[in-house]
Amino acid sequence: MSSKDDEYDYLFKVVLIGDSGVGKSNLLSRFTRNEFNLESKSTIGVEFATRSIQVDGKTIKAQIWDTAGQERYRAITAAYYRGAVGALLVYDIAKHLTYENVERWLRELRDHADQNIVIMLVGNKSDLRHLRAVLTEEAKSFAERNGLSFIETSALDSTNVDMAFQNILTEIYRIVSQKQIRDPPEGDVIRPERVEPINIQPSTTSDGVRKQCCQ
Amino acid sequence: MESEHHEKSSFWKKNVKSVAGRPSPKRDAKDVKKNPGSTSFQDFQASVSDAWDLDDDEFCVISGLENTKISKKVAHSAALNVLNSHRNTTESDSSLDKKSSKKTNNGPETNKTSRIPGPGRPKPILRINSDQESVENRLERFQILLENSTDLHELCGLSWSGVPAKVRGITWRLLSGYLPMNMERRNQVLERKRKDYWSLVEKYYYVEHDETNRDIQHQINIDVPRMNPSIPLFQQKTVQVMFERILFIWSIRHPASGYVQGINDLVTPFYIVFLQEYLKDDEPFEKCFVDQLSEEQRRIVEADSFWCLSKFLDSIQDNYVFAQIGIQKKVLQLEELIKRVDETLHKHLKEHNVSYLQFSFRWLNNLLTRELPLRCTIRLWDTYLAENDCFATFQLYVCAAFLLYWKDQLMQQHDFQGLLMLLQNLPTQAWTSSEISLMVAEAYKLKVIFADAPNHLLSNNSSDN
Repeated sequence: MSSKDDEYDYLFKVVLIGDSGVGKSNLLSRFTRNEFNLESKSTIGVEFATRSIQVDGKTIKAQIWDTAGQERYRAITAAYYRGAVGALLVYDIAKHLTYENVERWLRELRDHADQNIVIMLVGNKSDLRHLRAVLTEEAKSFAERNGLSFIETSALDSTNVDMAFQNILTEIYRIVSQKQIRDPPEGDVIRPERVEPINIQPSTTSDGVRKQCCQ
Repeated sequence: MESEHHEKSSFWKKNVKSVAGRPSPKRDAKDVKKNPGSTSFQDFQASVSDAWDLDDDEFCVISGLENTKISKKVAHSAALNVLNSHRNTTESDSSLDKKSSKKTNNGPETNKTSRIPGPGRPKPILRINSDQESVENRLERFQILLENSTDLHELCGLSWSGVPAKVRGITWRLLSGYLPMNMERRNQVLERKRKDYWSLVEKYYYVEHDETNRDIQHQINIDVPRMNPSIPLFQQKTVQVMFERILFIWSIRHPASGYVQGINDLVTPFYIVFLQEYLKDDEPFEKCFVDQLSEEQRRIVEADSFWCLSKFLDSIQDNYVFAQIGIQKKVLQLEELIKRVDETLHKHLKEHNVSYLQFSFRWLNNLLTRELPLRCTIRLWDTYLAENDCFATFQLYVCAAFLLYWKDQLMQQHDFQGLLMLLQNLPTQAWTSSEISLMVAEAYKLKVIFADAPNHLLSNNSSDN
């Protein structure tokens, strides 16, 4: 229990959401294990992994929940939004429909997640340049309009994957540390009541992050 | 949230839609009226017990109720009748088992360890030791049973502890209720069902789909290619298209659930078993090239997989309807069960904030196919299919036995992350049928312990409602 892995200053729960097949599980495995599978099995229900990163000399442990993309699973997966302080909303840059559905996912977050949850829009599969169906600029301005941070990633060639997680975790950290809310290290799960007091000012914080990552 | 689900699901069921290949609900209602004498569900059940073999493929399809208004009271009493008749059968079955076990154990040619009568007389350790020596013996007993007009009950008893690969195909067809017990009708039924499947494909698969069906097809097309990335067989386009057709036709015939991610994995065991009937004994299915089969053979594998899957899923369809209530219920029951049989483990999980839904959802949704190597899944399904209609409940005890199996390793984990990572990636890669035999024996033991206390699973149900 006292292993290095278990020592952290902050524990943040982050969910991965988005349509089926956009690469959520591969983003997770790339970030937590540096692994990628061209054909990875569909996620059933939810799956879980963690990784710790350093921000300002503090150890931040990210507890990441990967969810099934099919609509049928919503009733189950919605339970996993509880206590989440961040969400990576993923679409596939080569499949326009997955981008169109982003609005539905935002509604879902509004309905089920904490209202202060930090959301990052992630256009995955940026390696598929020749198949691009969603323009970077289009997604970027959509994100701006909706107060989301934005980044394009490729779990296949690793582009921006660490950056995406790093950015959202940093953003959450800034908000939390500003408010001087510390999660007691012995807790394994962030409890919703500890999360509620966090207030996010989208205009300032998400702008800051956007500048770092969307180029 | 609970009421929201109810609203949504009832709204959804009322959504009247014609279902592919299914007689219209109106016609069904008329048929029922023709039988004014039937008063109980048992009567009805008895009167139609052969319907499957004759010309109907429907079992307990929720959407069949679309146009019928059924009062809660009637539904409740019908359900009770089913449960009672079921319980009676199970009771008489087990008493029968006791008798037959006594008899057979003294029988002349009896190999005590391999002759495990009735659904599961667990003697796992003995059986494992004698696995090798009893292989031929077992095969012979299967062959004798299969070649004569078969007694389903006896076949279930024999199959429960594993079916030899050579006779697995025909045994599974019989256990699924796809193939009639009556020898004389078998060929005729097979021929007709296969033809039926292919006319469904022609009529509904190769046509322009409406939006709902396009969504279904889209989801299936995303999932099928990534089912078993490490097995070359599943990378073949021919195989993938076969799966896509099976799943699509199943989905449009079961609109109350439609295709749900994970159901694709449930086709696999049937597909492999029926495919193996056309492979040489030592030919590994993993590398078999399906295009080398004749078209007729491929059509048989596909149609038979479809019908057996359909039958198999009937008893667990509530797992896949809106909000997956069947699974949610079973998760609660699993928790209740573990709390009773192993409080230490239960407390350990709870202390570290592990909720049963987090790990057992996938177990139940995919019937452990994701947790076990394929060869073990197939062995497990020998037992599932032998459990027949009791399989839905039995599956719960199997999950409990599976969890209990890992107790020592779980107790060594002292945080949420460690527990969940272990539960998500249980090291079963080296498992063989021995571990499955042990697990189902343990499950059987749990079932027997709690068979005398049938209310033990109800406490959560009642608090749930």
